[in-house]
Amino acid sequence: MAGGINFSALDISASGMMAERMRMEVVSSNIANAQSTRGSDGEPYRRQQVVFASAMQDLAGRPNLSSSVGGVQIVDVQGDQSAFPSVFNPGHPDADEKGMVIMPNVKLPNEMVDLISASRSYEANLRAVKSFRQMAEQTLSLLRGSN
Amino acid sequence: MSLPIGAISSIQSTGATNPVSNPSVGKSLAPPQGKGGDFGSFMKGFIDEANTNVNTAETKVQDLIENKTDNIQDVVMSMAKADLSFRMILEMRNKLMDAYQEIMRMQV
Repeated sequence: MAGGINFSALDISASGMMAERMRMEVVSSNIANAQSTRGSDGEPYRRQQVVFASAMQDLAGRPNLSSSVGGVQIVDVQGDQSAFPSVFNPGHPDADEKGMVIMPNVKLPNEMVDLISASRSYEANLRAVKSFRQMAEQTLSLLRGSN
Repeated sequence: MSLPIGAISSIQSTGATNPVSNPSVGKSLAPPQGKGGDFGSFMKGFIDEANTNVNTAETKVQDLIENKTDNIQDVVMSMAKADLSFRMILEMRNKLMDAYQEIMRMQV
């Protein structure tokens, strides 16, 4: 491609921000469904987790210049396979004959920590974007007033 | 210090704003294949890229306004790229104008 600014740092940080945003969506879904005892397949809501993978191409599909750095991509949103807890709650509509209800395997403190972590990662990626832009602007200012 | 018009390489060396030194600097500075890599096509490459970036940014903002996408990161990134590309060709234009005026000031 013709000459121009190399934006791969921006693309990598942008992929990081999008991945963290997706992670936040999943965490929000977990938190919102922490009490959902009826899921789509008759089971209670199963806690979802995102799986990140490093992408060796940039967002436009071009191979990255050095093969050891790249953006991030979400390859999977998997259910957490840990067991559902059983809670004694006889008044619940979904209680079985012993009064036990199977609740989703979502632990709110874990989800809150994930939320904080996703939010801080997002801020870190944003900081990287700002630094890149600042460096580019400072480089351009070399052309200004160099007489 | 004035910029002699013959030292096009000095403009070339400030043409790429890659802040990290890596072997790609040489690649992004290479003149585009096609019209023999003279300075005119070199500038045209930059201008075309800036134009593409600005058009892409405009399309994405349009999509965001029409609610066709909710990916604000993409929109903001493309706007940042458009801004940087445009500023670069602006600076290059200023430098060329200065060089031209310096030439015109020369006593015959």
